[in-house]
Amino acid sequence: MNIQFKKGVLEICVLSVLAHKDCYGYELVNEISKRIDISEGTIYPLLHRLKDEGYVTTYLQESAGGAPRKYYRLTESGRKEEHEQKEEWMRFCASVNALLEGKNNAAE
Amino acid sequence: MLQNEQEFTRILKERLEGTLAREEIDDIVSDYSEHFRMGKESGRTDEELCKSLGSPEDIARELKALHLVKKAENSKSCRNIFHAVIATLGLGLFNLVFVLVPFLILLVMLFVIFIVGVLFAVFGPIGFVFSLLQLAGQPAFAIWLNPAAGAFFAIGITTMGLLLIIGDYYLARFFYRIGIRYLKWNISVISGTEEI
Repeated sequence: MNIQFKKGVLEICVLSVLAHKDCYGYELVNEISKRIDISEGTIYPLLHRLKDEGYVTTYLQESAGGAPRKYYRLTESGRKEEHEQKEEWMRFCASVNALLEGKNNAAE
Repeated sequence: MLQNEQEFTRILKERLEGTLAREEIDDIVSDYSEHFRMGKESGRTDEELCKSLGSPEDIARELKALHLVKKAENSKSCRNIFHAVIATLGLGLFNLVFVLVPFLILLVMLFVIFIVGVLFAVFGPIGFVFSLLQLAGQPAFAIWLNPAAGAFFAIGITTMGLLLIIGDYYLARFFYRIGIRYLKWNISVISGTEEI
């Protein structure tokens, strides 16, 4: 798939994963990269930006027998943003799908 | 191609130095070292991890662009917006068209409006003085066909010049705000890499 297109949807993917549960960086990267083929390194600058914009906060938590991990959590405004972007994405996809199916029908 | 974590971290640090603050660089680097640590714990090699992370140069470019746009947003100045635009340009050839061209067009437009405003504001008062001298019967200053009408015209030109300068200022502020929003959006959509 076109790489420019993929990067644009990364934000909603990250917000959506975090809406289900708090994650540490590596976990989040894995959740996303097992479904979408991306340069994993680009998720960290994105998290950095989301933190700047106040959509996520971070906290450290001890892991079982290891160094503490940095967890990311959605804030209230992050939840709102996730909700809005998801709605928008769903509407957009529905329209595109309808259009694509219409086009195929016409070609038959 | 990068082989290990040390090299990845070294390049990332090197590229961020001079632009980002020490603590911020340490924070970013610690995110990646945690990534390497967890990756190795789950049995992946240094090389695999480097490959899937992508180039540290690209990551640094994006972080720098983000930082400079934020800086331009927090303290508004020509210098800061200029740096932010340059950094965003570095994210891809694509941005020559989608960032540089609109930026230059806006710059020229704001400059032209300013120059026209200044010319009006300078020549308006001169024309006004001439019309008064002409009314007072000084033939050397007779530039107006009708000096009384000329006086009003000169006042109009002066006012318009001042309004253009003030309007240009607000227009520049408006485009500055929109520009920052556009650059942020641009960074979130444009990928620093030409290939995966």
